[in-house]
Amino acid sequence: MWYYDKKLEYPVMIRKQDPRMAKYIITQYGGPDGELAASLRYLSQRFHMPTKETQAILNDIGTEELAHLEMIGTMVHQLTKGVPVDVLEKAGLGSYYSDHDRAVYPVNASGVPFTAAYLQSKGDVIADLHEDMAAEQKARATYEFLLNLTDDPDVKDPLRFLREREVLHFQRFGEALRIVQEVMGTKKYY
Amino acid sequence: MDERQKLLEQIMAYDFCMIDLGLFLDTHPSDANALHDFRTCWQESEKLRKLYEEKYGPLSLRHLPNPNCWQWIDTPWPWEKEA
Repeated sequence: MWYYDKKLEYPVMIRKQDPRMAKYIITQYGGPDGELAASLRYLSQRFHMPTKETQAILNDIGTEELAHLEMIGTMVHQLTKGVPVDVLEKAGLGSYYSDHDRAVYPVNASGVPFTAAYLQSKGDVIADLHEDMAAEQKARATYEFLLNLTDDPDVKDPLRFLREREVLHFQRFGEALRIVQEVMGTKKYY
Repeated sequence: MDERQKLLEQIMAYDFCMIDLGLFLDTHPSDANALHDFRTCWQESEKLRKLYEEKYGPLSLRHLPNPNCWQWIDTPWPWEKEA
């Protein structure tokens, strides 16, 4: 289970509204390489992990992804709070507004709602850990694309933090894969 | 940034170090240096958390509530810009 701490993993304090960036950043909330997909992927896969290290790493990274989901939701909220309707519409959020007002809802950058088809829980530890490593690289790339789309330091700072976490998670999943392969590769004597 | 936010960000920094060291220890469980650093961060975070909760109210429901009022709903949520 989980306990809630009334704080973010890393500060988000965006002073300037920017609905255009909100429309792009929301893909890390409900898009294919977003934090919701990441969290669900790892928290679902952890049940069938074969070693204590891999169980722990999936549990703990899956938990950290929930904190990232909260950071992204906070960014979208702060970028859109109080923005007039005509400004939202000019930023390409007219369709979003008609379905969700300025609420945070899991969609990708083109407005397609979240689907569990973004993730896999295969039951095969080699397949799943490779998927996890690929997922971290895809999320790292998405954060780099998002960083290319803004000059606002208030937005760039948390995006940089999140990008770095993807690199770190990739590293830890790589170590988990190595541990599993070592265990599977040892000769069994009966 | 006011005093409350400054203290909160110090707690956030120690807690982040614990998240990061925790992941490292998951795949390097016998690394004594990382374990030592984790314990240091835990102790510092715990100290500051007590100080914060006495002054500004609960950070989590693990904090023993004030006998006279339910403060949980009055302290700011982290997504609020005013927080």
